[in-house]
Amino acid sequence: MRSVKAIFKKQLKDTYKNMVVLIQFFLFPVVAWIMTELVARPDEYMPDTMFVTMMASIFAGMGLIPLVASIIAEDRERKSLRFLVMAGVKPGAYLLGVGGVIFAVGILPALAFAFIGRFEGQEFYFFFALIMSAVAGSILLGATIGILSKNQQAASGLALPAAMVLGFGPMIAPFNERIDQVFHFIYTHQFATAAEGSLSWQPFAIMWANVGVLLVVFIFAYAAKGLRS
Amino acid sequence: MISVSMKNVGKSFGANKVLKEVTLETRKGEIFGMLGPSGAGKTTIINILTRQLDVDSGTCHVDAQSHEIGLLLEHDGLYPRLSCMDNLIVFEDIYGSPRKKTKEILERVGLKDAANTPVHQLSKGMRQRLGLARAVLHSPKILFLDEPTSALDPVTARGIHKLILDLRAKGSTIFLTTHNMEEATNLCERVVLLHKGTIIEQGEPKEICTRHNAVKTVMDLEAVFVKLTGEGLG
Repeated sequence: MRSVKAIFKKQLKDTYKNMVVLIQFFLFPVVAWIMTELVARPDEYMPDTMFVTMMASIFAGMGLIPLVASIIAEDRERKSLRFLVMAGVKPGAYLLGVGGVIFAVGILPALAFAFIGRFEGQEFYFFFALIMSAVAGSILLGATIGILSKNQQAASGLALPAAMVLGFGPMIAPFNERIDQVFHFIYTHQFATAAEGSLSWQPFAIMWANVGVLLVVFIFAYAAKGLRS
Repeated sequence: MISVSMKNVGKSFGANKVLKEVTLETRKGEIFGMLGPSGAGKTTIINILTRQLDVDSGTCHVDAQSHEIGLLLEHDGLYPRLSCMDNLIVFEDIYGSPRKKTKEILERVGLKDAANTPVHQLSKGMRQRLGLARAVLHSPKILFLDEPTSALDPVTARGIHKLILDLRAKGSTIFLTTHNMEEATNLCERVVLLHKGTIIEQGEPKEICTRHNAVKTVMDLEAVFVKLTGEGLG
């Protein structure tokens, strides 16, 4: 628990001082607000929440994966992770510390999306829980990519295609049955469809199954790569 | 009592054989020096002993858990956006050591006035001192130091030597690499001379210099190295 607290505090201070990272948390809600107010609401044929769900999906799926991969690859590249591993920091503690900050800061844009979309009552909580589940999945995937990459450049090279597949896949899926069948089991697709659908527990089951698998993959990746030169 | 040992250790990177049958032992509570020019294999040995690299052949043993080891490497692993104090607080929190001790160590390495300065604004020597402060924060059982005073002025280097001697007095084993002959002669109880991945000589500095007739007005380990290899240490 001491290690989790130490990494969490470190990451919070580091994120606060890293403008490039901070901007990415607030860029997507701002764009969603502008598009909603200027385009969606004045158009009577366009759903009011169209840009909110679109930008939330891009934030959770495409925005966070490269961001988390870059943060963790930076720790690896400048050898900070090696000193943490030597100090006895276990994979779970490192992930809870770094991922915990991203998850906590991610609550702000998630709430912003929910307010911009003017969700109310149960719909508000449903949308908020959906986006935070997608955030958890992306944190784990980004962390795994970061830990497997030698440096930030390599992390970007891996994270960007992964983010594009996970971000654009759900948009392409309605046009192709086979893609739809495959993406049905991917958390970003569940988020994109559930956010515009009716309240159900099923998307959460699939999304958290994704989170479980990604957690196991991360633990193996950390054990294999955390300390290596 | 043996603190660190390597027996017939070999290590290659591709076709490049960087360690050949390296055998050495460090006793508990001693300051052990490893001397050799760049590319001799010093850092590879430290990386193996700190479990960052696996050996190709031979065996090695370190009588400490990883969290009981202190480490100062060329790549300092500091967080550039955080201040000196915040960098140390990360490890203070992990080890559960008191804030008073962190402040004391920061003062001892001469960084008290730079406590709130972000690391990216520090000079190389200041970063090295901060790295050393982090390495000794938890009073490690074994301390591995890769060129601990290479970027420091003589006055600061003497302060660092005193810190190393104090740690030894408290029972820590110090394993250091250096180019600095004077440092090795004055600080280390025993040294090994490493050349192209092979140990060419080992023992007490005085004993080695006497053996190779290299005691002038002061002991001259560099003369021993030149005599054995025909090359300088620079």
